[in-house]
Amino acid sequence: MLADDMACNARNEYPAQVFNNENHKLNLYGDNVEVDYRGYEVTVENFLRVLTGRHENAVPRSKRLLSDEGSHILLYMTGHGGDEFLKFQDAEELQSHDLADAVKQMKEKRRFKELMIMVDTCQAATLFNQLQSPGVLAIGSSLKGENSYSHHLDSDIGVSVVDRFTYYTLAFFERLNIYDNASLNSLFRSYDPKLLMSTAYYRTDLYQPHLVEVPVTNFFGSVMETIHTNSAYKAFSSKTSNSKINSEMPLNQLSEDDELQKANIPNDELKTEKQKCPYTQMRVDLQEKLEKLENVDTVVNLSIAVMFIVVMVSSSLL
Amino acid sequence: MAEEQKTKPCRFWIWALTSVFFRLILISFKGNLNLSSRPEVSTPLTSIRRLAEGYWLKQASMSPYAGSMYHGSPLLLSVLGPLTVQRIKGQPSHLLCSLVFVIADILSAMLLRGIGQKLQMAYGLNARLLGFLKSSRDKVILPCGDIAALVYLWNPFTIVSCVGLSTSPIENLAVILALYGAVTRRVPLAAFGLVMATHLSLYPATLAIPIIILLGYGLDAPPIKLFLQTRSVENEKSSTSTVSKQAKSKQTTRLPFLWKTVVHFLFWVLLWSLYVLVLCALSLNKYGGLEEMFKRTYGFILSIEDLSPNIGVFWYFFAEVFDFFRNFFLIVFHVNILFMLLPLAIRLKHRPCFLAFIYLAISSILKSYPSVGDSALYLSLWALFVNELVDMKFSFFLFCGYLGISLLSPVMHNLWIWRGTGNANFYFGNAIGYACFQIVFVVESVSAMLNHDRALKRSNSNHGKSQELSH
Repeated sequence: MLADDMACNARNEYPAQVFNNENHKLNLYGDNVEVDYRGYEVTVENFLRVLTGRHENAVPRSKRLLSDEGSHILLYMTGHGGDEFLKFQDAEELQSHDLADAVKQMKEKRRFKELMIMVDTCQAATLFNQLQSPGVLAIGSSLKGENSYSHHLDSDIGVSVVDRFTYYTLAFFERLNIYDNASLNSLFRSYDPKLLMSTAYYRTDLYQPHLVEVPVTNFFGSVMETIHTNSAYKAFSSKTSNSKINSEMPLNQLSEDDELQKANIPNDELKTEKQKCPYTQMRVDLQEKLEKLENVDTVVNLSIAVMFIVVMVSSSLL
Repeated sequence: MAEEQKTKPCRFWIWALTSVFFRLILISFKGNLNLSSRPEVSTPLTSIRRLAEGYWLKQASMSPYAGSMYHGSPLLLSVLGPLTVQRIKGQPSHLLCSLVFVIADILSAMLLRGIGQKLQMAYGLNARLLGFLKSSRDKVILPCGDIAALVYLWNPFTIVSCVGLSTSPIENLAVILALYGAVTRRVPLAAFGLVMATHLSLYPATLAIPIIILLGYGLDAPPIKLFLQTRSVENEKSSTSTVSKQAKSKQTTRLPFLWKTVVHFLFWVLLWSLYVLVLCALSLNKYGGLEEMFKRTYGFILSIEDLSPNIGVFWYFFAEVFDFFRNFFLIVFHVNILFMLLPLAIRLKHRPCFLAFIYLAISSILKSYPSVGDSALYLSLWALFVNELVDMKFSFFLFCGYLGISLLSPVMHNLWIWRGTGNANFYFGNAIGYACFQIVFVVESVSAMLNHDRALKRSNSNHGKSQELSH
């Protein structure tokens, strides 16, 4: 849900791009970002409908949460807020008891197993004061009476690009590599009140597992690394095709696999097979030769030329 | 007379060269005059854009049939594919392909001329044998070879399909090659033409019947009865002995069928088809092989997967048929061509070239993706029979019909697709009208030919009676 779709804003000098840093290294509005509610669709009513799943019939699946009793949900909210409220669209507010109500409904309908709420606004910790449902973990960027501040200004775009709490959260994740099994505890401990200029407060009374044992990947998903292949279409329609296409493995690896497979077959079986069918052996040999042949096109072109010559010669002679 | 005969070939060459220049001028226009986007000219089977796409896919190590764009032969891809990519600076794109099609048209015209000359000779010979001509100067025999070649070169349909970059000229060349080989008794050439024509588009396979009849029995001739009648009349004139009467009763002999040539022809067909199949398997080795090729070329033609509008009658019907009945109606539509083959072969077996023309006309009316290139072929083959079809009825009506349909077709298409003021019925009505005119054309030409034979028989018997009376 993005109330102000900054990537598509006419005043954005970098259209379709949203950066979290002045250095413009990461485009957060990348190819695998899907915004389901934008602009005027971001209302408190829609937000609560998404959480509770009480949609009208015509709402498409992309706009529904579609979670079940095994889901882990990350709910991240940022913007302007205050004592027990969060501002929506400059016109309405989400109050803490609304949020608690929605979460209670979700728990009743078994729409989540674990829910993590992360709020980055002024006086953020007050937003989850009223929560009572078990299985909920909440962290806010500032306590009651404290403001949350932005981190730095991007003079190129002309606005501040990231808030402090979010900046340090992202910085924590940027430091991790694929093999680190970081826990939520290390995430929550990483917030320094001096750097944040506010106190990041979290409540774990509703959350049963120990934070040390919970990996961050329970709630924070990773961006998939895509491997591009050449074939955009389905390879071919016949199911019994035995040639390999769109594999990134080099050819020598493939042949190694074949050799391994052959080695597994006991030797005497191979010999008896060879003795049985010389015809199939010849076909297999031919096929191997054809697969090794790289310049098939020139062979085909030459054959076509030969065909025409034979036609002309035979038609003039016979 | 000799001078006339000399100037006639000169005139022919002048007209032929003028048409070649005309095509070259038209090719040099930018964008092929937007003809390659017309559905009447380029069908999913013959479009050069699809061939270029198939070639690009092949170069990108994908199967050329991926994405259901290209549905033609892999050999055509190897020959024409590189030409679609070559670009000469300052010239319109696909110029080399257009030149190939112009050359194909020229070759087809020359071969048609050869066929026509043979047919003309046969016509004159038969007429003299039947006693109608004392010498070749009595009755003016029209030079059907020249006429057919000029009709082919100057037919707007051929020009449009040549300039509009469809592969119809090459398909037409293969068919004409097969007919030429059969007429001049060059068996390997006929076999090659038949195999290539069937390979490129499925429907010329029906030409196997007239070609076998051509090779077995010989060229077009009036029915055998006429010759036997003439001989019997002459025999009666000469003697009235019982021996001759017995000989007359045994004269219901049939023309010998040259089995040796036909077996030779079948052997060559087998050879060429094996060669072509091996080449296709070789070029499609990594992309699914022959099975894939048959599924995507012949399977596409027979199962009519593409329902974009064309001047045929299939697309409209198959857009609304229920899936449950789709296979049934596919069989019905294709059997529509098949069930006409045998009766026509029985009735017209003494005229195999004409039979070939009728088969081609029927398959271009009832094939799954017709285009004007197919019409160009059978219209020029029709011109080969001007000597026999002089008394064809409704010729002016048909000419106006063809003209009207070909002018209205782009208009209806524009109204439907671009302006939105018409709908599919406008365009399909046009297609139905075109099919009706074509059917009337085929029926009238067959009846004109049969009437010609009947007139020959009548005048033969009259001739015999008058000779008897004179005795």
